[in-house]
Amino acid sequence: MDTYVITVLSNIGMISFVALSAYILLLSGQISFGQQAYFGIGAYTAGIATVMWQWPIAGALVLGALAASVAAGLVGLATLRLSGIYFAMATLAFAEIMRIAAELFVYRREIGGVETGPDGIDGFRDIRYFFANDISPFQSCLIVYALLAAVLAALFIVERTRGGRLLRQVGEDPLLAEVQGIDVMRVRMAAALSAGAVAGLGGGLYAHLMTYVEPRSFDIMLGVHALAYGLIGGLGTALGPLLGVLIDIGLLESTRIFRGYRMIVFGGLVAVLLIVRPRGLLDEVAISRIRQALRRRRHAGG
Amino acid sequence: MAAVDLAQNTLDGLMIGSSYALLAIGFTLIFGVMRRLNLAYGPTIMAGVYLGTAAFISFGAPSLVVLAIVIIGASLVGLYVERLCFRPFGEAARTASMVASFALWMQIEEAAMHMLPQHMNPFPPLLAASPLEIGPLMLRADHLIMLAATLLLAGAVTYLLARTKLGLAIRAVIDQPRAAAIVGIHVERIMMLTFVLASAIGGFAGFLIAATDAQVTAMMGMWATTKGLVAMMLGGLGSVKGAIAGGLLLGVLEAHAQWFLGPQVRDMVAWGLLFVILAFWPGGLMGAKALDRTMAVGRRV
Repeated sequence: MDTYVITVLSNIGMISFVALSAYILLLSGQISFGQQAYFGIGAYTAGIATVMWQWPIAGALVLGALAASVAAGLVGLATLRLSGIYFAMATLAFAEIMRIAAELFVYRREIGGVETGPDGIDGFRDIRYFFANDISPFQSCLIVYALLAAVLAALFIVERTRGGRLLRQVGEDPLLAEVQGIDVMRVRMAAALSAGAVAGLGGGLYAHLMTYVEPRSFDIMLGVHALAYGLIGGLGTALGPLLGVLIDIGLLESTRIFRGYRMIVFGGLVAVLLIVRPRGLLDEVAISRIRQALRRRRHAGG
Repeated sequence: MAAVDLAQNTLDGLMIGSSYALLAIGFTLIFGVMRRLNLAYGPTIMAGVYLGTAAFISFGAPSLVVLAIVIIGASLVGLYVERLCFRPFGEAARTASMVASFALWMQIEEAAMHMLPQHMNPFPPLLAASPLEIGPLMLRADHLIMLAATLLLAGAVTYLLARTKLGLAIRAVIDQPRAAAIVGIHVERIMMLTFVLASAIGGFAGFLIAATDAQVTAMMGMWATTKGLVAMMLGGLGSVKGAIAGGLLLGVLEAHAQWFLGPQVRDMVAWGLLFVILAFWPGGLMGAKALDRTMAVGRRV
């Protein structure tokens, strides 16, 4: 396969993790401008694990996701009782603090005769695990999609259980959910922890596929794009955010038709889409219609 | 010496803070009337400033003409944002407005970069006079103008809201949009007017800021949105007084943080303060401890 296509596919896959992370919180009724922070935490942690501590990639990715999840839990303790723009601003504030912290974070050590590690504003270069272990770009792209499929499968399963219904119920009307005896804070905390882990996993992959990560890789633009992906793709299914990523990166960034005008097109598209379909292309109504149609066909066929 | 540094930093902070306060007043107006966040506010201002700069570069337009272009340009872009991000959505779809305004932010920023492709563009400075010296302290004259303009504008906005018929209508829409419509107030028109007014104030602020820097980049959009937002949140959403207090406090705090800890920590301090206030003291500085803050917002504007 063409290396350019592989790169684009890998990018779509990696950004999808952040989009799914924002989507999980959107389902719980919270708008986060700060999921990029957990992406960054995952990227730095996983990178440090393979480069500085010589961990295997699997352990490093798990560690990155865990670290991001723990951070999300701590931030959640302070912010989850906020709602609306208060929550959005608090998460943005945290993400910016983390980004600046990364600009100040220097942790250099000599590994195999070469000094390496996070170097403040210059970022963290030479995360060469895939290269050193002869994993081709195609193979690493497969790893991204295998993990993405696993996250998606987990989300689909959760959506079919009581937990998924609780999540949407809390997102729809937290007060009503509370009155019905649902522990709103616990549901939100569960959402925040898993959203953090998903973003952290994406970050760990990003660091290793790109071979570097810098503070600018997780600025506010990444966070708000991730949020927009769910909102244009649709909040009815976990495939919605992926559709959003596909439209933006697959269609606008990678084809050269819109070069130099990508943001003008994407921005206008999002604004108009939000007017026509406030909960995205694949919203709850669309999903239940598709389900009905599938069921009918199955009945007709069988 | 330390006392002089402290005083000088505080003074500098107050001056920079007055530009934050101007931005926060515009944000507050929009938030008060719409109960929604306009993330494209900073980029709207930047677009106006860019139009002014383009006129300055191409025709050497004098400062007053540039000022007019900036204010009119920002108002028109504001109108566009209102039409596309706020008018189509009901108050219930707050998220949609916020995300749509972010989408337009991207659009405006790219359009501005097509207009003036250079990263840094010159802007006509306000005054070339050397700084005033008051004992051991230094004071830039254009900073003084900025502070005076902020106080004047805050007074004008307060007067407009408290004493004029338009202000009465705005406050009615803030308090009870439905009741306001019943008594014959054209709610949509009031919202649009407020939006354009806020954008014009933003344009004025943008002109002063760009003139003090004597240059402008497309990053001004993001800068203005974040500084204005933080200042507004620090002051507690929705009061003009709070916006000024928040802006000045942010300015002073940043000046000290920069002096003692460096520019990166300066930004971190501002965000850290915002985080702490939101998490532990969500009403803001001037905020009431009311349970229903959104209700309180309206009453305080």
